[in-house]
Amino acid sequence: MNKRTSLVAVPLAAALALGATGCSGGNAAGGEGRGANPALLNHAAVVGGAPKRGGTLTVLSNQDFTHLDPARNWVMNDMDFGTRLLYRTLVTYQAAPGAKGGKLVPDLATDLGTSSNGAKTWTFHLKKGVRYEDGTPVTAQDIKYNVERSFSPDLPGGSDYAARYLADADGYKGPAEGKHLDSVRAPDDHTLVFELRRPFAEFPNATVMPTFAPVPEKRDTGPRYDNRPFSSGPYEVKSYERAKRLVLVRNPYWDPKTDVVRKAYPDRLVVTIGLKPNQIDDRMIADQGADSSAVPWYALRPESAAKVLSNAEARRRLLAESMNCTDMVQMDTGRAPFDNVKVRQAVQYALDKDAILTASGGPAFNDLSTAYMPAALFGGRQPDTLRIPATGDPAEARRLLKEAGEPDGFATEITVSSGDKGRAEAIQESLAKAGIKVTINTVDPSAFYATIGDTKNRTDLVYTGWCPDYASGSTFLPFVFDGRYIKEKGNTGNHSLFRDEPTMRRMDEIAAMTDARRADEAWQRLDGEILKQAPAVPVLVRRWPLVLGGNIAGAYGHTSYGGQLDYASVGLKDPSKSQS
Amino acid sequence: MILYTLRRLAGVIGVLIAVAAVTFLIFYVLPSDPAAAACGKSCSAARLAAIRAHMGLDEPVWRQFWDFLSGIFTGRTLGSGQYTLRCDFPCLGYSYENSEAVWDLLMNRLPVSASLALGAAVLWLALGLSAGVAAALRKNTLTDRVLMVGAVGAASLPVYFTSMMLIYGLIRVAGLFPYPNYVPFGDDPARWASNLLLPWLALALLYAAMYARQSRSSMIEAMAEPYMRTARAKGLPRRTVVIKHGLRSGMTPILTLFGMDLGGLLAGAVITESLFGLPGIGQLFYGALSSGDQPVILGVTLLAAAFIVVANLAVDLLYAVVDPRVRL
Repeated sequence: MNKRTSLVAVPLAAALALGATGCSGGNAAGGEGRGANPALLNHAAVVGGAPKRGGTLTVLSNQDFTHLDPARNWVMNDMDFGTRLLYRTLVTYQAAPGAKGGKLVPDLATDLGTSSNGAKTWTFHLKKGVRYEDGTPVTAQDIKYNVERSFSPDLPGGSDYAARYLADADGYKGPAEGKHLDSVRAPDDHTLVFELRRPFAEFPNATVMPTFAPVPEKRDTGPRYDNRPFSSGPYEVKSYERAKRLVLVRNPYWDPKTDVVRKAYPDRLVVTIGLKPNQIDDRMIADQGADSSAVPWYALRPESAAKVLSNAEARRRLLAESMNCTDMVQMDTGRAPFDNVKVRQAVQYALDKDAILTASGGPAFNDLSTAYMPAALFGGRQPDTLRIPATGDPAEARRLLKEAGEPDGFATEITVSSGDKGRAEAIQESLAKAGIKVTINTVDPSAFYATIGDTKNRTDLVYTGWCPDYASGSTFLPFVFDGRYIKEKGNTGNHSLFRDEPTMRRMDEIAAMTDARRADEAWQRLDGEILKQAPAVPVLVRRWPLVLGGNIAGAYGHTSYGGQLDYASVGLKDPSKSQS
Repeated sequence: MILYTLRRLAGVIGVLIAVAAVTFLIFYVLPSDPAAAACGKSCSAARLAAIRAHMGLDEPVWRQFWDFLSGIFTGRTLGSGQYTLRCDFPCLGYSYENSEAVWDLLMNRLPVSASLALGAAVLWLALGLSAGVAAALRKNTLTDRVLMVGAVGAASLPVYFTSMMLIYGLIRVAGLFPYPNYVPFGDDPARWASNLLLPWLALALLYAAMYARQSRSSMIEAMAEPYMRTARAKGLPRRTVVIKHGLRSGMTPILTLFGMDLGGLLAGAVITESLFGLPGIGQLFYGALSSGDQPVILGVTLLAAAFIVVANLAVDLLYAVVDPRVRL
């Protein structure tokens, strides 16, 4: 999914960010040749020991949720919050730190689904005894209904896995006027059958998405459901003032016996929205009074990194798991000079990734990237197939430019989100060493994706990224390099406009594989093949640093939620210290 | 007077329509696409078109503008199919970012902005007027110079600088205050005031300085008027002369200034609210600018314009009450 764009002061709520499983970015924890990373004291570990039941967990946030309606929720942090607290899905991720967090476990379903018809039909059986906040039972029809409503143009923003994989879904626009999808069947209250348009061995991974949470038809309030989702999870919404405050209280009908994942330690969760990011950082570092029972919603700003890394006490309360999203410089392969592979390779060699890493807050909170897919999709470590020095190789870049018929270099432009200006300047400086003069075009995050998605009028280069939805190459490479997804306006993902027939054929072949291990290996090989054609240059993988309050327990950055705190397990050491 | 009021009201409506039209047109030259932003990361062309149609973005610009304008007075029905939304009078559109009617969003935040504006206004009026009057009554003395140098200094400090200094000095270093966390007046008046004290100070310092200078010159001018000499000659006490005769006539320019300032602030003090993390209209506006939430940007712009022009009108009508010469 699109990497979150960020603003120096207020990161953009509307920008999307999804992560995947895994434990580090480009390099193993700590980075190669950099010594131990001081930010990784709690890497893959639980902070604060076992929580006690009760109290109020406060969440300090600079931004509102993008969507809490499960049909529309497709931002990593929001999915974590929604599916761990408010609604349950067919399948979810295990509540555990480190690589274990990538493991799928049944949630509403009794197992991870049964496939038939060559992985084109998937059947799930629901647990009995799961109830909504009003005590009514969760039924298979409710999940079918939410899958259907995710197609509605009135409810945009959600994941498109249902649209992408369900049979006969083309042109379907939701359950308005009583129209239903025949490819989702609920023969009884506890059975769901999905008919897919093609074999899809990873379908259980897709059912982790909030699209596969239940919404009872009689409770559906359309676009307003976003502000008051009906709970099937351990908490229900007590009040929600958009961009101000969200208060969750216990759902009395949630039964822990039906739920192996959620611990629901706090009695209440209060999300205070609209605070300044620097103030959140300061408050979390200071850890005073009620703030010791608080957690930050958004990552520590790079500007605050030094304050934390130089403070041993604060470092003990720091989580910094990988976001598993790759930042890339993407080149427009559809027009000169970047339609020439030699020119693109010259950019690959010219880029000083180390300088960009420094501009991003340094190696403590970022890892260099040597492949497109993050480490999680390579079993924990990215390969370095090109072996280009991290500081770049301007001489080799100049040689390649000469071969490409551009001995004197050329002038080009790059578009970046305003939060990435420092990174753009590092790119500009390093490409200049090879004779490529780059002009930086900075765009407000609100207009960034619309600007780079206008394929006719955009600049040659863009700096953006991609995050897989789960630990599979199928949620990364096709989104970023399949030419069939290119749109003239509103283009997303494939910003290199890469349209290579053999690559697309290979993607279809891998997608049809029913052996997940074989498919994984094939995606990894394909990553290297595309890298040789250089439609984009992978630069870095960011971490998600969070400084927690001193009274927080059971906390870890969940690898499947981009390093965000796992809200299924977090609680308080001493509930009496929290605000009532 | 009635005709004058009606004429002014027509002018107010004209200004608001012009503001709405200009703001509306600005969105058409910007590259942002609300439908694409709402659609998410992997949006097919067909789905994008359906969302655009649902939002009414496929209509010609004049039609969209007319729907918006007429909706303010008659309400509107938004959306399609089973999810039609009724946006009642006064409908300022619907925020797809917040899944809420813009009017409801604004009304939800108005108490915060009003608390900030009114509290700061009380402070700056008290500080500014007393400093200005004191300086005027002691014209060309050390007191006058000290007060005016202080006022020039305070007026030179941008509100973001003052705010950041207050946050740094009183919250971060001295730890005398917690970071502001807005509490509604009805919940706890004492906490409401204590959480707003620093934002009030940040705003009031700037405005008080301007009001001190303005009220000083107004008072000096008023004190030199012949009717003041008459009042003193009649043997009226100094307090009566200064307050009833001097201050009242010197108030006219202050009133104009106050109407504009308060009107502007009621629609949100963007910088102060953002810096202190107060969930008012200013902060909503800042967030809407960051996320490209056009209906909210339009709604806040209109509300701000409405407050300013209505405050202007109210001030003009109040002139007659404050200064009897206007009625002549």
